[in-house]
Amino acid sequence: MLKRVATTGLLMLGLLHLAPTTAQETLRIYNWSDYIAEDTLANFQQQTGIRVVYDLYDSNEMLEAKMLAGRSGYDLVFPSARPFAERLMKAKLYQPIDSHSLSGWQQLDADILASLQDMDPGNQFLLPYMWGTTGLAYNRDKVAAILGDDMPGDSWRLVFDPAIASRLAGCGIALMDDALEVLVAAQAYLGMGRADYSQQALQQAAAVVAAVRPQVRYFHNSQTINDLANGDLCVAHGYSGDMLQAQSRAQEAGQGVHIEYVVPREGAVVWTDVAAIPVDAPNPKAAKQFLSYLLQPQVIADISNSVQYANANLAATALLDEQIRHHPGIYPPAATRQRLLTLPLPEDKQARLMSRTWTRIKSGK
Amino acid sequence: MLKKHPLLVLALVAGYAFLYAPIISLVVYSFNDSRLVTVWGGFSTRWYGELMNNEPLLEAAWMSIKIAGLNASLAVVLGTLAALALVRLRKQRGHQSLGVMVTAPLVMPEIMIGLSLLLLFVAMEDVFGWPQGRGMLTILLAHVTFSMAYVTVIVQSRLAHMDRSLEEAALDLGARPMTVFFTITLPLIAPALGAGWLLAFTLSMDDLVIASFVSGPGSTTLPMVVYSSVRLGVSPQINALATIIIAVVALAVLITGVSLYRKEMRQA
Repeated sequence: MLKRVATTGLLMLGLLHLAPTTAQETLRIYNWSDYIAEDTLANFQQQTGIRVVYDLYDSNEMLEAKMLAGRSGYDLVFPSARPFAERLMKAKLYQPIDSHSLSGWQQLDADILASLQDMDPGNQFLLPYMWGTTGLAYNRDKVAAILGDDMPGDSWRLVFDPAIASRLAGCGIALMDDALEVLVAAQAYLGMGRADYSQQALQQAAAVVAAVRPQVRYFHNSQTINDLANGDLCVAHGYSGDMLQAQSRAQEAGQGVHIEYVVPREGAVVWTDVAAIPVDAPNPKAAKQFLSYLLQPQVIADISNSVQYANANLAATALLDEQIRHHPGIYPPAATRQRLLTLPLPEDKQARLMSRTWTRIKSGK
Repeated sequence: MLKKHPLLVLALVAGYAFLYAPIISLVVYSFNDSRLVTVWGGFSTRWYGELMNNEPLLEAAWMSIKIAGLNASLAVVLGTLAALALVRLRKQRGHQSLGVMVTAPLVMPEIMIGLSLLLLFVAMEDVFGWPQGRGMLTILLAHVTFSMAYVTVIVQSRLAHMDRSLEEAALDLGARPMTVFFTITLPLIAPALGAGWLLAFTLSMDDLVIASFVSGPGSTTLPMVVYSSVRLGVSPQINALATIIIAVVALAVLITGVSLYRKEMRQA
């Protein structure tokens, strides 16, 4: 009997040591699920002989926690630029990527590179990966039926104009549960050219949101996807990726629900996901090889076609599927792009003020 | 015998519906042609086909099963030892504090266990180079830490209600303590061990928060894939995979049930 226990124990110890011990060069990537094209990794492996281990996280916060703890073991991570990459840049947790020696760097969109300069002067640490906007999605037929000729189409008036919002309230309006996104959207509606965290500007924005608070059915960041697709909700404020997901789900369901996503013409918040190499990456050389691979127009175009997000590579635009390249929700027209706003990291004091304001708005006081 | 009151039957049906309706709807929608969970688009096995080609998802599922199996086995061994100590060494000093410490993970928030273990592993690696990096091993260690507590509680209650005179009789007849433990005690508490094993397996399969904190390159588990899919949309492939797991579990339960029943019949 004892012997059997001993052998089982030994067997289990043996299993514990089953960790992969291959001599082959490995690149360890930490990213969202399906946030690449299906053949991206296989092609890279074929071209370079480097084996890719692709792990998934379920929130930027989890990625941040692991980066802060150190020794994550990953060579390449894909955080959202704001506020996550910005915070970690401040903590000096990324290493330079020799960006300007990477071939293909010149083809990157100068506007997007410029929008990252305040956290990454000279663009030495972060490679822009995919980008999108925070705008409005609406149920085309229902909203058109209710508003008729007063339809503001691509404007924040859909949610922030009390006269229009009160007519849409019965059909359902949802805003994001994110103080920064909603308050800055209200500032765009007011025609402020940029995000302004001063007390006065925040109060102005808060007044706009408070005025339509009674018409807002709920504040949530992702519940809107299904509600829109099922036709339970008329207008939702959300990330372009989520809203376009609602659009394609509504299409697939074939229940006659048509969702439109628009980047309001008054301007909207733009977000960028970046690729970065942690300062303690075990194999930064392979990570850099992967970055130059990502800079190949065909590679990044394939990814955009698959995930339906815009990329920052101008040379890749021509290689995109027609419906992505011409989708105003993915690649907004030039005039709108001029009005996109970035969200700098608020200082502690501003963040406190913002969350207090937000609580007040949501509770309706 | 209790008469079958209609209300009783109703309560039974409602109880079963409460427990099984969600599972049934999950299984039904795994055969849904539409991607939406709320809209029926016709019968199809399309998601099963796609699942078979989805290597990352299958790999993660296999990783989860491996961790859960090893975790359950280790947790049963350690949990049983802890339960023995708690029940049999009541007069020993430190008995009380051991009881508190072993069962502390039951009441600790997952996020605290996860973060503290992550910091511990990083610090250990800095100080004496082990565990080297994080991965399956660290997830396993973390899972054993908290699932052991559940096993301990289950086994402890079984041990407390066990008839000690059986062990004493064996000792009287000259068996060594080790033999007594393996031939008398273990078979008597076997149902508790089985229950503990299954519970530990489920806890480990289920856990996202702790595993996320202590995972490393090449150790993505199934819950991480599911939750990470929110970014680009959850696919009914998850339903298909869940259906397969449910089928396997149901089959296993059925087989054990039948064999137990036969055994009883033979004994009777």
